[in-house]
Amino acid sequence: MPHRLHLYRVMLLSLCWVLSSFAVAQQPSNPQQPSPASQNPASPEQATPGTESKANPVTDNATRNKKPAPEAPAIHNDVVIRGGTILTVTHGKIENGSIYIHNGKIAAVGQTVNAPAGATVIDASGKFVMPGIIDSHSHIALDDDVNEATSPVTPQMMMRDAFDYNDKAIYRALAGGVTTSLLLHGSANMIGGQAIVIKHKYGLGRDEMLFPGAPQSIKFASGENPKRVYGSKNQLPSTRMGNFEVMRAAFIEAREYMRTWDDYDAKVKKGDKDATPPKKDLKLEALADILRGKLLVQIHCYRADEFLTEMAMAKEFGYKIRAFHHALEAYKVADKIAANGIAIATWPDWWGFKYEAWDGIPWNAAISAHKGVRVALKSDSEDVTRRLNQEAGKGMHYGLTEDEALKAITLNPAWIIGVDDRVGSIDVGKDADISIWNSYPLSSFALVDKVLIDGDLYFDRSLPGLGLTHYKEVQ
Amino acid sequence: MLKKLIVVIALVAIISAQSISAQSKKTKSAPAPAPAAHSNTAAAASNETIAIKGGKLLTITHGVIENGVVVMHNGRITAIGGPGTAIPSGAKVIDATGMTVYPGLIDSETHLGLTEISAERMTNDEIEMSDEIMPHMHVYDAFHAETALIPVTRMNGITNAIVAPASGDTLPGQDSFIQLAGPSATEMLTVRDIAMPLNFTGAQRRNQSFEQAKFPFTRMGMATQLRQAFIDALDYDQKLAAYDKKKSSADAKEKDKAGTPPKRDLKLEALLPYLHGKKPVVLAAEQPNDLLTALELANEFHLKVILNHVTHSASLLDKIAATGLPVIIGPIYEQPKESERYDAVYSMPAQLAKRGIKIAFASYDSHQARNLPYAAGYAVGFGLPADEALKAMTINPAQIWGVDKDLGSLEVGKMGNVVVANGDPLDVKTDVKHVFIQGQEIPLVSKQTQLRDQYWK
Repeated sequence: MPHRLHLYRVMLLSLCWVLSSFAVAQQPSNPQQPSPASQNPASPEQATPGTESKANPVTDNATRNKKPAPEAPAIHNDVVIRGGTILTVTHGKIENGSIYIHNGKIAAVGQTVNAPAGATVIDASGKFVMPGIIDSHSHIALDDDVNEATSPVTPQMMMRDAFDYNDKAIYRALAGGVTTSLLLHGSANMIGGQAIVIKHKYGLGRDEMLFPGAPQSIKFASGENPKRVYGSKNQLPSTRMGNFEVMRAAFIEAREYMRTWDDYDAKVKKGDKDATPPKKDLKLEALADILRGKLLVQIHCYRADEFLTEMAMAKEFGYKIRAFHHALEAYKVADKIAANGIAIATWPDWWGFKYEAWDGIPWNAAISAHKGVRVALKSDSEDVTRRLNQEAGKGMHYGLTEDEALKAITLNPAWIIGVDDRVGSIDVGKDADISIWNSYPLSSFALVDKVLIDGDLYFDRSLPGLGLTHYKEVQ
Repeated sequence: MLKKLIVVIALVAIISAQSISAQSKKTKSAPAPAPAAHSNTAAAASNETIAIKGGKLLTITHGVIENGVVVMHNGRITAIGGPGTAIPSGAKVIDATGMTVYPGLIDSETHLGLTEISAERMTNDEIEMSDEIMPHMHVYDAFHAETALIPVTRMNGITNAIVAPASGDTLPGQDSFIQLAGPSATEMLTVRDIAMPLNFTGAQRRNQSFEQAKFPFTRMGMATQLRQAFIDALDYDQKLAAYDKKKSSADAKEKDKAGTPPKRDLKLEALLPYLHGKKPVVLAAEQPNDLLTALELANEFHLKVILNHVTHSASLLDKIAATGLPVIIGPIYEQPKESERYDAVYSMPAQLAKRGIKIAFASYDSHQARNLPYAAGYAVGFGLPADEALKAMTINPAQIWGVDKDLGSLEVGKMGNVVVANGDPLDVKTDVKHVFIQGQEIPLVSKQTQLRDQYWK
């Protein structure tokens, strides 16, 4: 229903969209500089110097942070995809090419590949083969538990606790070629909760759908949404001044908390057996994780001035911003965003749904990419996540090259999520997350024929019923 | 917030006042000298003769003409044909070599001119929610001709649209048909009160909570309220007729008996053209049960019906076909029911067209009305023949809305609403290069292109 759709959209906008960010200017000599993206800069293994050697306070929260997903189970499969036009993303197009998949990974790709005789063959003649699509901004499968809208600072919220792995939205996105999504907290809070990364293995269990080893992201927001949520209750924040002050206060408190633990650790180190550990606090612990550089910071942010403030804030407190989400005015300060090594996750053409979206233009992605910003096109929508290929096509309409448009729904969102060493292109060694299309995918007309994740078939359009291979309808 | 809006509008005005001579980095054909971007004031039809030559003409009603010629004069198409078609001397010639040329697209439901910024209440006039029965609301009273959204919409080749009130009421008011350019609202509102939406999807219930319960809380309430409204209107109609009969009687005694006319009731009066079958009701239902209930009601009062949505009524396709009624279809992006296959809604246009049902697409949007052709394109992916998809945005809606004398195809005598694009009109990658409305080229300039040109350097 139009009206309902409209309300739904406004609701989404007012409740979910959020990410603001603070970026640290990139200074190669900065000892806290995370390593390159492909090494999962924010993963716990990459803890910044000064924190890595000492035992961090082990709270439930921290424990969970360290284990965002269980180890991947061993996968055994041998698959060959033959005859399709392969859009590799990183090394061009291969006409009539082949991909050999071994134990869930891409083992070979090229005009021809060597594969064992017993391998399952998928004939992709006349079809297009590309990496599974990656949605770097989604709120599906959270059963409406998107916003803990009771306090503007809730970094200890773990989206995993709300993950509704049975949600059919996961299936419907899979049928649109999506294999990985970042499920984020909403935009009600300046500092929201911690995301999960899922693979769309619809029909499997909860833990099997979590992306093994994916780094932990945290959602920030800025602008109208926190203002509206708390302002409507006559609470702080109700202005952008309030928004940023709430953040500053939170980080200052977190620094204090870290100091008390440092003092305690120092005493223990000196052999003080009477030292009493400070009280563990989930919220402060999560904030400390941000300052320690352990979390990828994903910021809901629309306006040019707010990108600048968020970047200044990040510099002030010494953390890095991974991406600005929505980022409708990125084109106005794209050079500055690029200089800070921050990506954007935007829509090709949404605008006008609220005042801070009034200057949204469909050339935002192209202008930003042109000025060196890593651009992803995302959905933030249960609807649009089903057809991100068309969004990429729109990106081309509005000035992205084919290469940029393809990257915008594969490798670049993978980078934003911190899994670009694992997925997002058809390269040897990467997870075999692959979508096969009946025609050129960046168009209005293309349909997904098959989707493989870790080399296993999860969706096949030619199958009756839902087209799923691992799902059994409960009677 | 209003102040901010004013500031923004002022800024845009300033920007547009600056000469935007810098060529856009995007290799768009240089637009003609542009009026202010969000002025929608195309000049009235001029005497200039325009000939579009060399393009692939999708005429809609008489096939495809390769390397064709379209000539427009005085706002109308005066000639159309193959490469040999005579181009009058002095005509301004538009080279459309390699391009596709097709009639301006018609969006069969939008809220254009009723909204500017969705979340800012003061910029919205989409619906009067104080009552569920509001047939006397006329969108033309709120239509904001200078909206920034219309130039944005035109850029994807949409030249005409239905403007409807939002769907939160059972009878939210009456639609108007607009042309997306014109000297003022007067000319842009080409057909006022063209039809009346009748919404029966359950979303019109006032059932948010028991605490705020208000009639109609249920579908029973909705149907009863609607039936009573029609009965009241028929009663009012009878009283008017009785009065008129006496008043116009040749018999002086009878004439005297007429007394005072019935007190004028705008709400009931608004229903009469629909109860008389003079104008169509746009009946919106999604689920099969709602569709049947609403159709029964419509039949009871002999309403002339155009169906709308039928999103989840796949089980009634044959029944819908048997009614012979046209269907405004979509939004095809509506989610399927939990038990349905992922493509249950995407494939509805194909399913309807296959049964010979006349369909027309609608965006049901305003900011994104420009994406209308892409929904049609996606329906093609799911089995709708491409020519049917194009008809569903041109000749079909023109016929459904009764404007096919002027619109919906490239034919001599029709209005010069013509689009030139660099590819398939239904594809997301296609860029529209020229838009003509009433035979006049509309500069492809909007608030958005101005920001693009300001920052893309």
